[in-house]
Amino acid sequence: MRAPTESAKIVTIEKLSLRYGSRQVLRGIDLHVGAGEVVVLLGASGSGKTSLLRCINLLSMPQSGRICIGGEPIFDTSPEGHDRLALTQAQIGRIRARTGMVFQQFNLFPHMSVLRNVMEAPMIVGGLSRERAEAEARALLAQLGLEAHADKRPAQLSGGQQQRVGIARALAMKPAVMLFDEPTSALDPELVGEVLRAMVALARSGMTMVIVTHELGLAFEIADRVVFLDGGDIIASGPPADVLLAPEHPRVAGFVARFHESIDMLKPFLETV
Amino acid sequence: MFDVSVITANASLLWQGLLVTLLYTVTTIGTGLVIGFAVGLVQLSRLRALRLCGRVYVEFFRNIPLLVILLWSYYAMPIFLHVNITKTAAGYLSLSCYIGAFYAEILRAGVEGVDRGQVDAATALGMSPSQRMRLVILPQAIRRMLPPLVGQSIIQMKNTTLLSAITVPDLLYQGSYISSFTYKPMEVYTAVAAIFLIILVPLTSLARRMEGFDARAH
Repeated sequence: MRAPTESAKIVTIEKLSLRYGSRQVLRGIDLHVGAGEVVVLLGASGSGKTSLLRCINLLSMPQSGRICIGGEPIFDTSPEGHDRLALTQAQIGRIRARTGMVFQQFNLFPHMSVLRNVMEAPMIVGGLSRERAEAEARALLAQLGLEAHADKRPAQLSGGQQQRVGIARALAMKPAVMLFDEPTSALDPELVGEVLRAMVALARSGMTMVIVTHELGLAFEIADRVVFLDGGDIIASGPPADVLLAPEHPRVAGFVARFHESIDMLKPFLETV
Repeated sequence: MFDVSVITANASLLWQGLLVTLLYTVTTIGTGLVIGFAVGLVQLSRLRALRLCGRVYVEFFRNIPLLVILLWSYYAMPIFLHVNITKTAAGYLSLSCYIGAFYAEILRAGVEGVDRGQVDAATALGMSPSQRMRLVILPQAIRRMLPPLVGQSIIQMKNTTLLSAITVPDLLYQGSYISSFTYKPMEVYTAVAAIFLIILVPLTSLARRMEGFDARAH
């Protein structure tokens, strides 16, 4: 595990609390993600992992705490030295654009071509010329094996292809960190592999990533650290082998045991093949 | 016996009435679209006070019968406000404001019907609220808004017949007038109904085809 130094922190989260009505979703979370680090957030549904991810780029607005992206505060209610940080929509938008997000349901723009999906934000948010944005978008699509689909509409693509377009669209803004919200959960099983491979390649290229997933295999493959959430608290954090193979907390043990169970149930079938 | 000559002999009166009906339909739809777009956006504002203003406008015009609005604006408003208003102005303004409220609701529902994930994606890419609306939400909302917009516009053409209550010489008013001196209500009102059918049936089927188009679009 690469220990993040102070200067190379890409995401800093301190004492983050989020409440929906009377329901406390996040209870004072601290999380630091260093440059090039890959962090996988695990936990049962309702544990707060997706909410935590959505707070990083303020898609969900927390009640208190502090969030910095690349050393720049985007949210801050901490009393020491600051008043409550008041940023304009434009300032928040600019910092947000330094994070790239990939969604469970892809959320591609259905009325635009694949190419347009990827080049729109670099043009209108990033201020790139049309020619430059298109060239970069085509290069990204080629990198993800999608060059043949540039002029199609998202609806004409398979789920796996759509999700790779989602990754290309997020990468087009040259983000400092990529946020993945259960990127393979909505896919047919046979399409999961191509998206996982794209994510592994991205991690190997040195991209900083925060990933919410149920794919434990992916966690073992690319995570420098897994962070296990339960009821809005971090209950375990560390290298995947430590957290998942020798779980200390009963909740983590239960989570991993269910994963083993499903493999055990498959064994008789696998052996007959 | 159905006496066709009543209609042919008074064709020019019916024609004048039809032109008035079409004129009010087109101009009030045009003005109503502008009102509806503005009020619809106000209803979608992040500011509570603005949203409330939009809500009040919409509920005001949606919950008073159009006939009452027309009669009130022509006969009552001038007394309240000490102004003179022509029946043309009263009819035009009432119909425009009335349909504007319905268009505003169609816009609001269309925008709110766009998948929440689209807003998330546009936001995460750093788009400002106005960029999100212009580039991501409205293009998708307009597609689903077209069938109800056409439907409401068809209702508007039929609603123009209420103008006859404030003596605007529309198609129905001319029909009533012809029947008053020919004593042939059967022929005249049948003709008036037939004219509406001939104009609106093709538009209705167009609206229906657009719904099918919308379903296939995504």
